[in-house]
Amino acid sequence: MERAFARSYDSLAAIYEFAEKFLAAHKFSEPARFPVHLAMEELFTNMVKYNPDVTGDIDVSITASDNKVTVILQEYGVDEFDVTTPIKVDTDAPLDARTPGGLGLFLIQNLVDTLDYEYDDGRSRVIFTKKSGIKHV
Amino acid sequence: MFEIGYGDDGDIVCSGRLDAAQCEKALLLMNEIADTSTLDFASLEYISSAGLGVLLKTQKRLAESGAALKIINVNNHIHDVFRYSGFHSIFDIEAKEE
Repeated sequence: MERAFARSYDSLAAIYEFAEKFLAAHKFSEPARFPVHLAMEELFTNMVKYNPDVTGDIDVSITASDNKVTVILQEYGVDEFDVTTPIKVDTDAPLDARTPGGLGLFLIQNLVDTLDYEYDDGRSRVIFTKKSGIKHV
Repeated sequence: MFEIGYGDDGDIVCSGRLDAAQCEKALLLMNEIADTSTLDFASLEYISSAGLGVLLKTQKRLAESGAALKIINVNNHIHDVFRYSGFHSIFDIEAKEE
C-alpha cells in the first residue's frame, strides 16, 4: 500500500489512519503497532522539520511479509541526512541538564528491528522493519 | 484526536494521541500550570518525542519554582517510551493497571 502525504504536521492523522488500517487488516499485534506508528511519525516529522524549503509530498509505503512490516518513506530534492547515524542521549541526565528535542531518532533507533537509509541525487529514502508479536515497545 | 482539560478532581486529563501536530494545543494548557500538578494519562493512547518535549519543557519551568508534574495511569506503550527516554528519573510516574 502506498500513498503520498503533504509535507506538513497536519498529515500525521492521515498517516496514522493509513498505517492503522493496514496493520489491522494484516492482524499485526497490538503491542507492535505502537512502535510502527511512532517510527513513522518521527521519520516523517524529521523530513518536514529539516527540509523547510522543500514543498513536494513525501511518499509512504507499507508492506507485510513473514510476520514483519516494512515501511518506506521517500522524499525528493533534499540534502542527505542519514537517520541511521547513532544518536547518543544521556538518559540519566538530571532535569536541569535536559533539553527538549533530540529524542525522536534515538527512540526509533531503539524500537525498530532494522533501519536503513539510501541517498541518491536528491532522493532520500528511509526503510524500517518491525516484527509482529513482540513485547511492549 | 487529542484532548486536554481539567478533570473534576483538578487533575489535568489527557486523551487520544499526543503527536507533533497536537503539541501547540497541549502547551496552551500546560503553560497555565503554576503549581505541582497531576496529569492523568488513563485515556492517552500515544505520545511521540514531540509530546515528550512538551512534558519536559513544562517540568523544567515548574522546577524553577520548586513545583513538578506527576503523571498517572500511564499505559504500557507510553510507559516504555518514558523508560527508554529516561523520564523515570525526572518525573513521578505511575503506571496504569492493565
